[in-house]
Amino acid sequence: MGKSERVKKIVCFIVLAAVCVVWMFPVLWAVLTSFKSEYEIQSSGFHLIPREWTIDNYMQLVGNDSTPVFQWFVNSLIIAVGHMLLVLVIVSLAAYGFTRLNFKFRSQLFGILLSTMMLPSVINLIPNFKIVDSLGWTNTFLAVIVPGAASVYNLFLVKQFMDGIPKELDESAFVDGANRFQIFWHIILPLSRPVLTVVALFSFTGAWNDFLWPSIVMTDVDKLPITPGLQLLQGQYMTYPGVGTAGAILALVPTFLLYLAAQKSFMESMSLNSGIK
Amino acid sequence: MKRKMNFWPAVFIGPFLILFIVFVLAPAVFGVFVSLTDWDLYNAPEFVGFDNFKTILFDTESIYHDQFFNGAKNTLSFVVMAVPACIIIPLALALMLSVKARGHKLFQSLLYLPNLFAISAVMIIWAFQLSLSYGPFKDWFGLDINITSTQPWAWIAIVGVTLWWCAGGNLIIYVAALNTIPKDQIEASQIDGAGSVIRFFRIVLPNIRSQLLFTTVMTTIAQFNVYGQALMLTGGGPNNSTRVLMMYIQQNAFGTGISAAGMAAAMAVLLGLVIMIFSGIQFMISRRAEA
Repeated sequence: MGKSERVKKIVCFIVLAAVCVVWMFPVLWAVLTSFKSEYEIQSSGFHLIPREWTIDNYMQLVGNDSTPVFQWFVNSLIIAVGHMLLVLVIVSLAAYGFTRLNFKFRSQLFGILLSTMMLPSVINLIPNFKIVDSLGWTNTFLAVIVPGAASVYNLFLVKQFMDGIPKELDESAFVDGANRFQIFWHIILPLSRPVLTVVALFSFTGAWNDFLWPSIVMTDVDKLPITPGLQLLQGQYMTYPGVGTAGAILALVPTFLLYLAAQKSFMESMSLNSGIK
Repeated sequence: MKRKMNFWPAVFIGPFLILFIVFVLAPAVFGVFVSLTDWDLYNAPEFVGFDNFKTILFDTESIYHDQFFNGAKNTLSFVVMAVPACIIIPLALALMLSVKARGHKLFQSLLYLPNLFAISAVMIIWAFQLSLSYGPFKDWFGLDINITSTQPWAWIAIVGVTLWWCAGGNLIIYVAALNTIPKDQIEASQIDGAGSVIRFFRIVLPNIRSQLLFTTVMTTIAQFNVYGQALMLTGGGPNNSTRVLMMYIQQNAFGTGISAAGMAAAMAVLLGLVIMIFSGIQFMISRRAEA
């Protein structure tokens, strides 16, 4: 390694380390502050490490009727898992249909689906409220699980992947007498696991982090998911950083754990995204 | 085996197609129709032609006209500030990461992390960080300004927090792209004695052109939908100077009082048309890449 190369590495290390410290500072502060007593926060100026550790802030969120954060947390889990499962089912079925079944207007239909990716979602907001309301779904989990599930983008990703699975595999199974569904279930699905993992991760985090839509269709405080719920929390605890940060940290825990568990898939999925040049 | 009825396509594609038609296609058509009506969300919409658009665009007496132009100005200002920030800074960080100094994998993971956070949690944390009473700026740096309610600090805060929240996604794409640049191209330029600036413009940029284009378009589309940052960080203030178009659309359609859903839908269509220009560009590029 040349000398200038080494200098470059040292400079990059120092700059990146400094940026990362600044980058993580607010999160670190929030985690630590959620364990400080409100008295300590209000009385002793800005500091990082709690003088006395306490879980009072979290306890205040338990059984809190106007901002039931733990209830919201459970709601969000149900919604995010439900949405993820629904997406996996309908997208993998449809992707199989588009890669393996022959029917009239197949490629035209897929082309139309692709071109609708251009439609801006902002136009759908108001009509979707009316549709969900007419179905009697407002203030039910269905209102946040179902409407976003038919994602053409996910369909495209999975179809691309299934196109790459050799046709000989399912054709030989077909000759052996397996039906379409058996082939899908026993051959194509297991082989599609990498792309389905990516779709699962992103549909889970997408549903967990969704903000505007659930705040429109969920007016009942007990039914809210945590992400729009935190807006209420902010309104009530604007001057109580202890409770405010405790609520915020709770909302970050699941996506953070998911990231720790599946970091590689997250990274790969980002490059998959840009692969659709 | 020669049966005419083939039910398999319906089994496999049906569920997706039904949800697609009900929740994607129908609302898109319905949304354009609603923009041509006077509607309160509950009674039958009354068709009024292009009246809503005329009011929004030309009726200087109307509150909706003021709202739209203020919201459009603010959304556009935000896009103009946030998009370059969300491209240039992640690119600079990616270039440093690609040197592969010690800890680069960890740094990359940390920088990506905020991308996965819920916007409302991010805004709660940052609202405290930026507040005079609870943040570090006064106690540590002696900065005695109420950031979220004073311009231009309010904009700087919104753009800065957006950068913090969004940078990770583009960063990962750039790091992956930089790794694919052929080593011999870089070595050849080193032998030619090209400095790193020349190398950046002659070799690096052309090699990651498609990813730059992709991220620019996608970031632009995303930032036109800005909502949560302004709502929870500045509340649209000071004096509505950060009240973005999505906030007016939400407020008119679903806020307190009688809903002006038709008017809000017309605003949504106008915003949607602008966004469609960019998604159109994206669509053309992807078509050309396929061909």
